[in-house]
Amino acid sequence: MVKDIRRRDEENMKEIEKIIKEIDRLKPVSYIRDKIMEIISNPDSSLAELVGIVKYDQGMTANLLRICNSAYFGLAKKITSVKQAVAYLGIDKVASLAMMGNSADNFREAQAGYDLTEGELWRYSVSSALMAQDLAEKRNLNNISLIFTSALLKDIGKVILNTYVKDSFEAINKAVQSKGITFIDAEKEVIGIDHAELGARVAEQWNFSPVMVNIIRNHHHPEKALPGDLSIPIVYMADCICMMMGMGVGSDGLAYRHYQDIVDRLHFSDIDIQKTIAGFSGKLEDIEELVSISGG
Amino acid sequence: MNLVVGVGDMKVSNDPESVLVTYSLGSCIALAIYDPVAKVGGLLHYMLPESSLDVQKARKNPYMFGDIGIPVLFKETYKFGAKKNRLQIIVAGGSQILDQKGLFNIGKRNHTVLRKMFWKNNVMIDFEDVGGTVNRTLKLEIKTGQAWLKISGAGMKKI
Repeated sequence: MVKDIRRRDEENMKEIEKIIKEIDRLKPVSYIRDKIMEIISNPDSSLAELVGIVKYDQGMTANLLRICNSAYFGLAKKITSVKQAVAYLGIDKVASLAMMGNSADNFREAQAGYDLTEGELWRYSVSSALMAQDLAEKRNLNNISLIFTSALLKDIGKVILNTYVKDSFEAINKAVQSKGITFIDAEKEVIGIDHAELGARVAEQWNFSPVMVNIIRNHHHPEKALPGDLSIPIVYMADCICMMMGMGVGSDGLAYRHYQDIVDRLHFSDIDIQKTIAGFSGKLEDIEELVSISGG
Repeated sequence: MNLVVGVGDMKVSNDPESVLVTYSLGSCIALAIYDPVAKVGGLLHYMLPESSLDVQKARKNPYMFGDIGIPVLFKETYKFGAKKNRLQIIVAGGSQILDQKGLFNIGKRNHTVLRKMFWKNNVMIDFEDVGGTVNRTLKLEIKTGQAWLKISGAGMKKI
């Protein structure tokens, strides 16, 4: 019996290792993205560094300017240079947007296991990141580009886990329905690893900062955030609000958990949440434009 | 032809060629109504229960809120000859995240506002699929009044 359990554990470990190896299947991080990530992770980064990175890539600069000039940001004046973009939006936001303009690669394809058609995962990632940015601004947090980027990339694990979820969907769904557990806990129970943990492994492999790795790992488990940490709660909350609005919701539905103490930690009332939903719904067309520019 | 009803949106049609469809409801509610005699139907996708939250936004887009979106949906179909006593009524959506309680359960509140209004106005629901944690999509064919419901993880089913 003990032997049986040990053998099963070994088989499970092998399966998990196989899944983790598939991280190599993702399109690699470009040099430029790596450099932008350095800026985002370093609060002392300067405008000169950012300009230095993007100025040699005309396509990227043009794309970044289109993003900054999109209706979502509602700037009165048309921006024609990265320097100007930073003057209007701040280096933090421009770095976030440069990241958005360079991250769609792995997110475009349909994810049949999660019942998401082509482009839906990217649309959702952008929406969720903008929502997190909005909430972080409301709470005057100072690491907004880090929060934005973590929210943008937090579901990268789904891209790999997708085929496994597809194969095991019945068992996962059964666990959700009969035990009342969350979809992510059911992923772990049935497959052996969940999309957030897998996403954190990707983030580690791509040399993301430990703070970002931690946000990605716990974006559905904010109760694991350190007391006083607001980054994980903000990304979690943004995700919940998007789910309630039906954004990016696939076969996992809304089968995640509401943590009242986390909502309280953020000082969000139900009215705040409803107002955020109402405010966001007025921007859906502008978000769609951003999705299309950044995904192109 | 598919006429997509967006989030916080409504469409009414008597064009027999058109199919009204609204995707990915989350905690929002889709209300579809259809008069088989006048062959007119309407579909509303509202997100929040009460317009008192933001009167200005409500004035700009009444379809965002159940309390004012629902009456507008009925009135718009009356313009095309629909009669209240003939209307077939379908309700879907109102899902919730696990453990969302009280005021934070917006899916449930979205449903409650509709139930209250229907109770007061003697409106009977013919088919309803609400709550739980699933995501839903609803479709209504104007020619026949046939509706379809898609629940996340499962295919489209005739109602």
